[in-house]
Amino acid sequence: MENEPAITLITDPAFCRHDTGGGDHPEAPERMQVITDRLMQGHLAGRIRTFAPRPATRAQLLTFHTEGWLFRFEEAVLSGRTYIDHPDNQVGYESFDIATLSAGAGLVGVDRIERQPGTVVFCQTRPPGHHAEPNQPYGFCFFNNCVIAARYWQQEYSRRRVCVFDFDAHHGNGIQTAFEQEADTAYISIHEHPSFSYPGTGWAEDKGVGPGKGTILNLPLPPGAGAEQVLRLFPKIRNFLDTIRPDALIVGAGFDAHRQDDMSGLAFTVDLYRRLGNFVTELARDYTQGRVLSILEGGYFLEKLGVCVEAYLSGLVETDE
Amino acid sequence: MFIHDHMTPSPVTVTPEQTVAEAIDILQRYNIRHLPVVDEQGVLQGILSDRDLRSARPSTVAQSKERGTVEEKVNKTPVSVLMTRDCLFLVPHATLDDALLLFQSRKIGALPVVNEEEKVVGVFTTADLMNAYRDLFGLGAKGSVLVSIEDNQDPQALSKLVRIMEEKQVQFTRLVRAEGTDKRRAMIYLRINTYNVRSVHKALEADGFVVHVPQKTP
Repeated sequence: MENEPAITLITDPAFCRHDTGGGDHPEAPERMQVITDRLMQGHLAGRIRTFAPRPATRAQLLTFHTEGWLFRFEEAVLSGRTYIDHPDNQVGYESFDIATLSAGAGLVGVDRIERQPGTVVFCQTRPPGHHAEPNQPYGFCFFNNCVIAARYWQQEYSRRRVCVFDFDAHHGNGIQTAFEQEADTAYISIHEHPSFSYPGTGWAEDKGVGPGKGTILNLPLPPGAGAEQVLRLFPKIRNFLDTIRPDALIVGAGFDAHRQDDMSGLAFTVDLYRRLGNFVTELARDYTQGRVLSILEGGYFLEKLGVCVEAYLSGLVETDE
Repeated sequence: MFIHDHMTPSPVTVTPEQTVAEAIDILQRYNIRHLPVVDEQGVLQGILSDRDLRSARPSTVAQSKERGTVEEKVNKTPVSVLMTRDCLFLVPHATLDDALLLFQSRKIGALPVVNEEEKVVGVFTTADLMNAYRDLFGLGAKGSVLVSIEDNQDPQALSKLVRIMEEKQVQFTRLVRAEGTDKRRAMIYLRINTYNVRSVHKALEADGFVVHVPQKTP
């Protein structure tokens, strides 16, 4: 159909070149391939337009990260180190450049949304970003893609009030670090309860600090939680957004809460990702005049990652109503 | 484990001659609930809690005429009248266990910390104790997860767990064996630093350990 909204996919074959050492590291290059295969062979294939990212500039990375971290990261990979700070954070020779490109995907997405409001954009990137802290990598993340995109949206387009909604199975500690003391930005995270899951942050009691009080909404779920528990959170998220009144929405779209994904104890279904897509589109319609950007975070069960992403994108473009 | 590492040093104090009104003002300004009372040399004379101050003031439901008079009188009273004399205290090299036992047996919320000359050098509260145990146990430490393992009473259980962690190259920071009680099963707690929590669970289960996670919904 002519009126069917297209999906703008921002990705690059180079994302496969962030080398996490092979073996059984879950954040593997194959993640990109399974998503691409599914999207290009599935029912959305005809509606997807693919665009290349551009690397984030040093100044753009510095909107969240420290100069010290940039030097340390670059030096570590060039000197042949295989991981930084913790064996989880595997790197290869090209990882700095690829992480810079991954951080830049969101910027291209923001540009496209601003050029044509209502554009559905999904950044299919790796390495992921939401655990990355200003001066430290955490949990496979090196640059905080969501935060860097949020800063860009604020600075380039004066969308001051940016809210990140993160449904990855893990709490995005780096995003909370970035936003928790600010009045303009907000962070909503659905994740497995920190007592049972990495990174051990994301307590419901954390609601923001100082001027940022009330801008953090952590919604931890017990292991085993699935659609029923998640759907019950939707009204809470709406109530929160009623007070936040965001200008733009960024979605940290992680798919590791799928019931077969070993990286969390959550039990999301493929259909729940479709419903999350519906919900995100409704939020964008009701709160941000359609300004919404989705960026891939986790999702490690290769047999289901592709269909989960496809279901989410279907949900974004096909609302229930 | 020592109080001097966890106390609030150089705390706010009052002298015995200062008034109740001044003490109330200090508690409110610093958002604290306990004030050591010291003489001019800083030697401990007693301790004053917000409860001591509250109970000395007239009830808010008292007759308005009397209330004003009584309140004025109380406000001008020196704190020496209300403070607890001969109060308990800690010394800087006392341990967290000492404090815990005192807090529990005497049902108190704070203790002054005094040096050899009986001068006040700190205050240690139940909140400080919670923070200290939080740090010791690593609760909420970024990048870590606590794994709860049933204690199978194997005398070698701890060394086996360490070996599994080393083989899997998983960093860990705490290994605690907690005896059981009538109400609670004996457990071993392991705080690990890895993203891949489930692979640790699987490795432990493969070696016969039972990992506790809340019941999954069907």
